[in-house]
Amino acid sequence: MSDRIVFEDVSKFYGEILGVNRVNLSIPPGITSLVGPNGSGKTTLMNLMTGLVRPTRGRVEVLGYKTDDPENLFKILGYSTQFDAFPKGLTGFQFIYSYLRLAGRDDQSAEQLAWRVIERVNLVDAAKRNIAGYSKGMRQRIRLAQAIAHDPKVLVLDEPLNGLDPLARSEMIALFRATAAQGCYVIISSHILHEVDVISDQVILLSNGYVVAEGQIATVRGEIQEHPTQILIRCTRPRDLAAKMLEGELAIEVSIHKDEHGLLLKTRDADRFYLELNQLALNGIDIESIAPADDDVLSVYEYLIGNEEAVR
Amino acid sequence: MTRMATKIWWAQIKAVIRLEMRKTFFAKRGLWIYVVAALPVLIFVAYIVASAQRQHQTSDVARQGTRPLTYQDLLAVKPGMTSEEVVALLGKPARDFRWTETQPPATEKDKAVEIRHDDYRYSDGQSDLFVELANGKVESINIQEGTNLGRDSIMFAGVFQFFFIRLAVFFGCLGIFMNLFRGEVLDRSLHFYFLAPIRREVLMVGKFLAGLLATCTIFVTSELLQTVAFVWHFPPSLRDVYLYHNHGLQHAAIYLGVTVLACVGYGAFFLVAGMMFKNPILPAAVILIWEAINPFLPNVLKQFSVIYYLKALCPVNIPSDSGTSPVLALLISNSDPVSAPVAVLGILIVALIALYASSIQVRRMEINYTSE
Repeated sequence: MSDRIVFEDVSKFYGEILGVNRVNLSIPPGITSLVGPNGSGKTTLMNLMTGLVRPTRGRVEVLGYKTDDPENLFKILGYSTQFDAFPKGLTGFQFIYSYLRLAGRDDQSAEQLAWRVIERVNLVDAAKRNIAGYSKGMRQRIRLAQAIAHDPKVLVLDEPLNGLDPLARSEMIALFRATAAQGCYVIISSHILHEVDVISDQVILLSNGYVVAEGQIATVRGEIQEHPTQILIRCTRPRDLAAKMLEGELAIEVSIHKDEHGLLLKTRDADRFYLELNQLALNGIDIESIAPADDDVLSVYEYLIGNEEAVR
Repeated sequence: MTRMATKIWWAQIKAVIRLEMRKTFFAKRGLWIYVVAALPVLIFVAYIVASAQRQHQTSDVARQGTRPLTYQDLLAVKPGMTSEEVVALLGKPARDFRWTETQPPATEKDKAVEIRHDDYRYSDGQSDLFVELANGKVESINIQEGTNLGRDSIMFAGVFQFFFIRLAVFFGCLGIFMNLFRGEVLDRSLHFYFLAPIRREVLMVGKFLAGLLATCTIFVTSELLQTVAFVWHFPPSLRDVYLYHNHGLQHAAIYLGVTVLACVGYGAFFLVAGMMFKNPILPAAVILIWEAINPFLPNVLKQFSVIYYLKALCPVNIPSDSGTSPVLALLISNSDPVSAPVAVLGILIVALIALYASSIQVRRMEINYTSE
């Protein structure tokens, strides 16, 4: 059995409209975020992964399972979709219970599992109420409960933090991390880049149906040659440090911080730059801290896709 | 392994049925199906009321007559007899109505002609005789028979074949089976099923059985009520004759069976149509026309319809009299009947073919609500 989620030359067209094109991915365990503007293909990629849509071309496999085999696929996969509709007339409990009965669980085990997962998403008080009367956040949580009710190995979550209050967000993020820590695969799509930055082990950046970058954020950032790496240095003599750096031609642009206790440098060769900086520190320049200023998802997103759609 | 899988599939089918029954029976968009199913019952209830009223009047007329009459007495009146001969034969009429008709002159020289009309009504307590006299001579006679087993059975068969099966069950199945998948796509809730670890074919079978259970409950109940209403209007003695000596019970059971088979056949057709078409009007019209033109089709094509087999199973043939138009006569007639086992098998095979097409279609289905 494969231990990856694999996309092999996958394209999806909705008639004439491109969903995703020529996608090749091999997603490892951990939290993987799909990042991209509206219409970039995030949901299509998730729907392809879960068999809700079929690829026009190519092959998708989830841990060795074909996506056109829902009977086996959904034993190891849970999907919290963005579709905000539920079977009519069901309470939160009935929604989860029915899902588990559909999965073939007997009455007792379905009831037990349903209450356990409802407790996990903090919906016990509302469990006996009709879903039609739920708030957006509650609907989001009950969808999440459905996705995790059967303890899947792969969790696919389309904008899972939408509509949640800050406390619920942090609870959910903790849940995703705990799930990933158990060796599971958590695939998340999100517009909220600072949250993606905090929770993701790796990102997949999408634009207009194409994967423009994938991997760990720092690795992706390192591969973007046309935008020099920005490094923020806090030190006591920023002007001296700037002069030394410019002399060595490693820094291509330097700006001194307003408080005269730091500087922002741009370099095209970060590795060599850090070696040089160590040397300077040994030669008497007092350096308090060094931090990369643009190896977060937001910067990577802005460099590769543009900043019009970015949500900070 | 196979036994285990079968056990799980059956548990999943039951879970689907439980979910679907709630939606099928109580969906607002399906309320009209109850109205359609109730219509033939209302027809027979109206018939009972009208029959009772008529029976009451007939009894009154018989009571008011100068002497008791038999059905043979009523048949003795012939056109051309004089009013005196009629009165001598049947006595003074219980109800009579006299009126004068003035005919305009043929030419200016002629005078207007007055014709004296008399309408007599007699009764033997069951049947009514209406006699029309013009200038003292019987011009026309009309006997309205009371309860008539043969005639009423044909009327029941007519309502069953041409209204209940071809329209009520047909459109009821359309409403329920087409919505099994289509309704969920419109409600944007089909993904709930598609995200569960259940084979799409098992889901399709579960939904079909749920639809079948719903349509059978609704239309078998309707058919039962129609039968009760129909039998109710017979006098008790005639009711026993009809039920126990005139195949009444057997016919009732066959009608119920045909109703179930109609639900199976049309249900399977509309299930696949609901998956293939966004607009239900088009497939409904095509299937309706296909079923309607069935008598005109070549034998090979006839076999791919539901009505062809249902007609063969109906216990009472509807005779076409000399005044029936050729097209209607062709619709009524069963020119190429098949035996009952072949008919049952035929419907089941047609349904299985449609279900096989559904299983292919359900595997291909995608969730793409935005294109709806």
